[in-house]
Amino acid sequence: MHLLSALLIFEGKEGIEMNESRKGMRLEPFTFTIEAGKIREFAQALGDDNPDYETGKRIPPTFATVIEFWGSKRPMEDVLQLNMAKVLHAGQEYEYVGAMAVGDQITCEGEVIDAYTRAGMNFVVVENKYKNQRGELVLISRSTIIERS
Amino acid sequence: MQIGFEFPPLEKGEITHTQLVRYAGASGDFNPIHTVVPYAEEVGLDGVIAHGMMIKGFIGHAIGKWCGVENLLRFSTRFRSMTRPGERIVVTGKVVGETADAWQCEAQAANEQGEVKASAKFEVKK
Repeated sequence: MHLLSALLIFEGKEGIEMNESRKGMRLEPFTFTIEAGKIREFAQALGDDNPDYETGKRIPPTFATVIEFWGSKRPMEDVLQLNMAKVLHAGQEYEYVGAMAVGDQITCEGEVIDAYTRAGMNFVVVENKYKNQRGELVLISRSTIIERS
Repeated sequence: MQIGFEFPPLEKGEITHTQLVRYAGASGDFNPIHTVVPYAEEVGLDGVIAHGMMIKGFIGHAIGKWCGVENLLRFSTRFRSMTRPGERIVVTGKVVGETADAWQCEAQAANEQGEVKASAKFEVKK
């Protein structure tokens, strides 16, 4: 019984250390070109009838998720070795530093800015910075991800 | 606008399995917990759950109607509970503060029973 408890504690500690070691990890940078058709498709999937999305004049506030999923060559869960069956999205923050438009080539660089363990669950905070083809920072995104135990 | 102003609620209708498949394709998030029922059951979720980002997208839809997306400066969301097909989401929001240049607002997405799925803070240019 004691041995089992000790083993569980040991395994828990190892898990915490493994999660903390994710801090500072960088995702592979990638570039994504914003297309009008992709904006329209995304807005339709959300049931958002804003006519400016139909024409590509404006971009939905959560469009960065499209850039991230469709643009990245190697999924985040591979780089961070997350168990996707256990992963939940806990929070998502965007800072709109500049504007994005159809035709822009957006380069995204991501980094784990925090990793901690609470109530036996791993929390990972990933910050992505999006720059346009002129090198201007247009968006900062912070995702908080939970890996259930 | 003024502090305390409540935006008109946005009713998003019933979430369907088809909508989750469509959102998966549009967003590129193909995690099968959102679309494949046997997989979601196997991993202990008791069926598929909606993408948190789709619910944030619903709040984004409301913000666009309320304030115009071009005025949005910051938009942060916490995902509070899981959303499943068959649920109907309503987005509500209000102005809670101001700075010299911006209105500070809050919004939430909840089902018809009032269970909060996501809560958000956002700032828009004055």
